[in-house]
Amino acid sequence: MIKLENIERRYISDEVETTALLDVNLAVASGEFLAIMGPSGCGKSTLLNTLGTIDRPTSGQYWFGDTDLAAMGEKDLAKFRAAELGFVFQSFNLIDELTIQENVALGLAYRKDVAGNKAERVAAAMDTVGIAHRARHFPHQLSGGQQQRAAIARAIVGQPKLILADEPTGNLDTANGEQVMNILTALNDDGATIVMVTHSPSHADMAKRRIDMLDGRIVASAMRAI
Amino acid sequence: MNRFALLSLYRSLTRHKLYAALNIGGLAVGIAVFLVLGLYVRFETSYETWLPHYDEVYLVQTDSRVPDQPFSGRHHWTMGGLLEQLREDFPGIVGTRIEPMGASIIQDGVAVNEDLKRADDTFFDVFDLPMAAGEGRRALADPGNVLISQSVAERFFGSSDTAIGQTMTATIDHETRSVRVAGVFVDLPPNSELEFTMLTRLPDDADSPWWSNWGSTSLQTFLRFSNREDARQFEAATNAFVNRRATDNYEAPASDQIGINLLPIADWHLTPEGREPDSRRQSVATLGIVGLLTLLIAIVNYVNLATSRAALRAREVAMRKVLGADRAALIRQFLTEAIATVAIAGLLALIIVELTLPFINAAGGLELSIAYLGGDGVVVPLILLSLVIGLIAGAYPAFLLSRYPAASVLASAKAPGGGRAGTRTRQALVAVQFALAIAFMIGTAVLFAQTQHLRDSDLGFDREGLLLVRSMYLLDDEAQRRAVQSRLEALPSVRFASMSDGVVGGGTSTNVDSFAEGGSPPISMRRIAIGPAFFETYGTRLLAGRYLDAQHGMDDATSLEWEEPQNVVINTLLMRSLGYSDPAEAIGKQIGRGAPPRTIVGVVNDMRFLSPREPVDPTYYTYYEEPKYGVMTLRFTGDPRVTTERAREAWTSVAGEIPFEAETGTESLQEFYEDDERATRLFAIGAGLAVLIGMVGLWGLASFNTARRVKEIGIRKSLGASATDIVKLLVGQFMRPVLIANIIAWPLAYWAMRTWLAGFDDRIELSPVHFIGASLIAIAIAVLTVLGQSLRASRTAPSWALRHD
Repeated sequence: MIKLENIERRYISDEVETTALLDVNLAVASGEFLAIMGPSGCGKSTLLNTLGTIDRPTSGQYWFGDTDLAAMGEKDLAKFRAAELGFVFQSFNLIDELTIQENVALGLAYRKDVAGNKAERVAAAMDTVGIAHRARHFPHQLSGGQQQRAAIARAIVGQPKLILADEPTGNLDTANGEQVMNILTALNDDGATIVMVTHSPSHADMAKRRIDMLDGRIVASAMRAI
Repeated sequence: MNRFALLSLYRSLTRHKLYAALNIGGLAVGIAVFLVLGLYVRFETSYETWLPHYDEVYLVQTDSRVPDQPFSGRHHWTMGGLLEQLREDFPGIVGTRIEPMGASIIQDGVAVNEDLKRADDTFFDVFDLPMAAGEGRRALADPGNVLISQSVAERFFGSSDTAIGQTMTATIDHETRSVRVAGVFVDLPPNSELEFTMLTRLPDDADSPWWSNWGSTSLQTFLRFSNREDARQFEAATNAFVNRRATDNYEAPASDQIGINLLPIADWHLTPEGREPDSRRQSVATLGIVGLLTLLIAIVNYVNLATSRAALRAREVAMRKVLGADRAALIRQFLTEAIATVAIAGLLALIIVELTLPFINAAGGLELSIAYLGGDGVVVPLILLSLVIGLIAGAYPAFLLSRYPAASVLASAKAPGGGRAGTRTRQALVAVQFALAIAFMIGTAVLFAQTQHLRDSDLGFDREGLLLVRSMYLLDDEAQRRAVQSRLEALPSVRFASMSDGVVGGGTSTNVDSFAEGGSPPISMRRIAIGPAFFETYGTRLLAGRYLDAQHGMDDATSLEWEEPQNVVINTLLMRSLGYSDPAEAIGKQIGRGAPPRTIVGVVNDMRFLSPREPVDPTYYTYYEEPKYGVMTLRFTGDPRVTTERAREAWTSVAGEIPFEAETGTESLQEFYEDDERATRLFAIGAGLAVLIGMVGLWGLASFNTARRVKEIGIRKSLGASATDIVKLLVGQFMRPVLIANIIAWPLAYWAMRTWLAGFDDRIELSPVHFIGASLIAIAIAVLTVLGQSLRASRTAPSWALRHD
């Protein structure tokens, strides 16, 4: 489904040039659950952001199906994100002024192609993550675990082909972390493709495949023994 | 923009109440100031535009082209017979004359004054004055008819319809007669210079000596041209006309000395007359600019607050991008937010205007009103204004916010604030805001100092304790006039009383004589005819010689012909014009080398009877033992109301059928001050609010800025910075733009205030105190505004601050 070829990402500022990704080649098949691990600053998040098209590679190709995303304009990329991707962040990134239900519905707000009853889809997504009873609450009224589940609901409400999770359990305690991982696993079992950045080896173990990064390169790749 | 964006705006406003109050409140006050001053400007520039076909009507001006004379310049008056001469030379010309006359209407034995004007029966060919009842054109054909306004009709007869055909007893031009109401016209609106409540036919006075005297200014002549080109062609032909017609009064070519011009009646109100400075137009323009600048300050505030707050919204923007919003969608969202915010502010501004307009009208002596719909309505302009301000105010935050790279915002804990460029822009905006605020404060200080100066300055006489009985001219019966005079003189509080044709606030006539002094041009001087005790009444200082009295043979001009020798008293300005530096030197000398001989027997100090904006004229006084015309001035002690009331009683006991008109000296000067005082008050209100908005903006900016620097403060404190260091850091950051603002404000205010003061003959000097004072106040305001938050930030525990994102 996804193929990255010779991806390179350099940040150039006035004085220094930083290479965040170097010679990254990666293929993610449909239905896969991929965990990306590595020490801080190794390029995990940059890789995830590149996959999510909110960061653009300096060179290389990014194939999503038959489309080269690296060559696509901003406007089309925005449309692409709205239709095909779901994001989950370590810091949840819910909008404070909107209720949980409205935050989840925001996942459909920029979709022009979704017809029919959006409310039902929002309700279904909230059900999936077990947050429906908190629909009318505001983010600050919820625990971290509940907020992250709401963020997952927002990510899946548009039924994206790919879910990108950037340390989804990083801000959560163990119990809440487990709960979130169980949801992601279940989503994957139902057919969702997931790419997740994590520091936690045990959570990485719950993915089907794991890659390790160091200094902007992929240094190891391993399939989970089933 | 989807509904979530609106929802999030609504919740953001209700959640961050203080921010919303600052942002919307500041903008609302800015719009309100703009609206009120806009209403004022519109009112002042709308004179006569209520009249159908006003653009075809012109006022004929008499242009006195000899420079440096008291009468130099264009006047809104013409000689009486001008229209007849125009009709002979320009067949088919459409015109009318209007002569202010005044009338007293006697009802149930009591006389009431009305603003009566007399006009030609062609009045309705020129003015399409809307009628409420009757037919105006036909009514004016009969000199026995009057047209009255709706209010007069209601006051005297109950309604417009019942008024038609009724008779009124009126004293017009010293003649009491019955007049028939033949028409009722719609009340003239406040934005009109026509100012009459009754209209009657102008009699044909062609035989009177002043009627065809070129240079006299007795009444107003109006012409109507169906298009501009006709008016232009007429004007081009006026010099030839003047050269043909004015030969009796002027040496050829007359057009070098006198001319006529056309003034569109819509320009009448704001056009100064003669040597008057262009102060009314200046005031209107100034207040219009104050309104615009206050709005600008409010917009700057909005942009500043919105961009600094952008930091807090960066995450939301990034998240929306992640969720598929493109840049255009975000720009749309922020612009719509801005427009919606401005619309709310606009609505609030309307409420503020509605609530404060009565006070502003009272403070400014104005009659402003706000209409919502229709041609004069504010709703449509306000909607357009919301759109425009929304777009202007929202553009910068919209483009800035939508530019944030989503990945870096989401990855980093730190929210972007527009970078160094953003900070610089905000600082520049604060500098602009404060520059305007400081300039406004300097302006207010100078305006107040000048108006105070005018109230206190030495006019050459004591302005307190004077009562002017202006209705003396209505007393035709000599015995009655004498009786009134002696009753007034005998009032217990009256110390002196005197008749004169020139008095404080303007007298009954203005005479200017020119005397050849050998050199050229001749010296023009004002002549004031005075009765006994005039100088004692005014408290004039005698600098040399003596006052005039009946004991000296050549003092009393009553029985002297114009050509005969006469003694006069002059003021110091005339003394200097005549070339004498010492008053004693002038005594015994003559004015003018030719006839008529006038011998100077006394020199008195200059007295400013008229506007502080106009120069005092060189003046000479002639004496009449028993003046028949003029105004009676009483010098009294004690409460002016008591003397006024006693004078009224004295008057009524002798001449009850004639209305008593009197005012104190300060009241009669008021008309010269009120325009400037009104402008000063409006300016002060606008400027005060502009400063307030600026403060609110700075406060908001400081609070966001401090919030953004919490972590930095923690780091600095952990490195050993004291609370004082932190306060200095935070306050100092805002001092730079405020100090830069002074550099912009001072020259701006200096130039503006010097220009304004140049319009006054009697004026204060610009003082550094005004400038330094305003700057110190601005700095104090800025420090106090940011100090509270800085103190709070400086007390934060570093451990908490370091964890703060």
